[in-house]
Amino acid sequence: MAESIIKVLNVNKSYGTLKAVRNLNFNVLPSTCFGFLGPNGAGKTTMMKMIYGKALRDVTSDSQIKVFGLDPDKYELNIKFLSGVVPQEDNLDEELNVWQNLYIYGNFYGMHRNVICQRIDELLKFFELSSKKLSKIRELSGGMKRRLLIARALLHTPRLLILDEPTTGLDPQVRHLIWEKLRQLKKAGLTILLTTHYMEEAFQLCDTILIMDHGEKIIEGQPGTLLEKYIEAYVIEIQDETLGEIAMKMPIPDSIRPDCSHGNPLFYSESLNALKSLTSRLGSGGYYLRQSNLEDLFLKLTGRALNEQQ
Amino acid sequence: MNSNDLPSLPYRILSVWYRHFLVYTRNLISNGLPPFLEPLIFLAGVGLGLGKYIVSMNNLPYIQYLASGLLVTSAMYTASFECTFGTFIRLEYDKVYDGILAAPITANDLIIGEIFWAGTKGCFFSFAVLTIVTVFGVIPIGLSLLAPVVGFFTGLMFASISLWVTSFVKTINHFNFYMTGVLSPMFFFSGVVFPISSLPKGLQPFAEIMPLTHVVRLVRAFCHHSFEISLFIDLIYVIFITIAMSILAVLRLKCRLIL
Repeated sequence: MAESIIKVLNVNKSYGTLKAVRNLNFNVLPSTCFGFLGPNGAGKTTMMKMIYGKALRDVTSDSQIKVFGLDPDKYELNIKFLSGVVPQEDNLDEELNVWQNLYIYGNFYGMHRNVICQRIDELLKFFELSSKKLSKIRELSGGMKRRLLIARALLHTPRLLILDEPTTGLDPQVRHLIWEKLRQLKKAGLTILLTTHYMEEAFQLCDTILIMDHGEKIIEGQPGTLLEKYIEAYVIEIQDETLGEIAMKMPIPDSIRPDCSHGNPLFYSESLNALKSLTSRLGSGGYYLRQSNLEDLFLKLTGRALNEQQ
Repeated sequence: MNSNDLPSLPYRILSVWYRHFLVYTRNLISNGLPPFLEPLIFLAGVGLGLGKYIVSMNNLPYIQYLASGLLVTSAMYTASFECTFGTFIRLEYDKVYDGILAAPITANDLIIGEIFWAGTKGCFFSFAVLTIVTVFGVIPIGLSLLAPVVGFFTGLMFASISLWVTSFVKTINHFNFYMTGVLSPMFFFSGVVFPISSLPKGLQPFAEIMPLTHVVRLVRAFCHHSFEISLFIDLIYVIFITIAMSILAVLRLKCRLIL
């Protein structure tokens, strides 16, 4: 098995009395995409920051973080030199234009002027931003800013790309464009670490996901395997309140698992036919029969919805 | 890419400096012209009005006395503004520092780069004042040409003090206390406008504590070619304050940058 790019062992992080990360363990293998999934405040960003030395983990004897075999508390510079970071909050330099934003960044990495210029052209083209080369930052749309942030992180051809919620707040077209680009980069050998609270994003990009809540790991594995193993294949969502009450009074076979801990009931089952026979008794509207997804898995594991704000 | 190619410490500091340089020179007219206009306005005010009432100060024409002081106060103000409002905006509003810290730059590199940039601005502002006072023949050409060097050290010193102040500030309005409560008294009671010896005896030691007093003495020595051995004390004071405050600023700001 290939050597891990990131190795995290028993890592904790507290801010005063708040425990942001509790006893986290994981490994990231080269040329794979590893995703942190969880609601706001789950500790995803804090974990990312500890990887590139923007936050320091609690000092305990058994805790360890190794990135490229180096401890970020001591080798912050070496790790950042080999990694690209796309922050959750847009921190482009508003006082500089698109090209200058990238240029000063190349400068931080000690790159030669000609190389920087060449990389800027390549990356602007790759992210379909060539026409914005000399634009001011505030003239860019949210999607363009996000693409520019990713381009900035890739300028020095890093070996590890760290993305904190790369597509939050973007429209579906831009989201798909970014996913497509990230897949291409992974194929070319880049290791990607990302956080997201979009189930679909994790499913589209990640080889491994780690679901966390309240700073703790809940489960880790391949997205497909997790779904197969921990949640039924199909689900009916009842959207109408009175219909929900009717549904709960109906006799429900053992092959269906009802869940009404969150307002309107949900009915899970491995058997599509069992659910179909249930819906036939419910009439024609007010419910939605679909395949279950990571969101349902999260709900099952934590007992609460993923979009709840902390 | 190999991590052996890691940029060296001076290079990293320089690349932070370069970011500020690029931002500053982007608006060359609006940033570069006022430093020349300000001394012009000042000298016009003194030459046309105040100078008629106060003819000489410390055996020098008053306009010359005041002009030599302005060589460092301009540096003090620009460095102080840069490292209070400027730094705070980069830290809290624009998140520029977060962006820089994702690159191979440490918090220390960033803060030291900041101080050197403020020093550079101090040097430039002193140069601007020097240009005006030299062109108008207010200060005779000579060692006064070294004033921008004093301006550079003035910039470094006030940058380090201001960064330390900034490290305590939670909302941007708090800087008003520093501007009005510290910098304004410093301007009036550090021997820029009138000699410290004119202050009441009891207040004179306070003037000696003020950092501006010492750079004013240094720059006056160059302007008026009068060197005394006591200037070494001023020099040591400036170096000591700059280093001590830089260390304090780095330690405190680091806690705000690395969580």
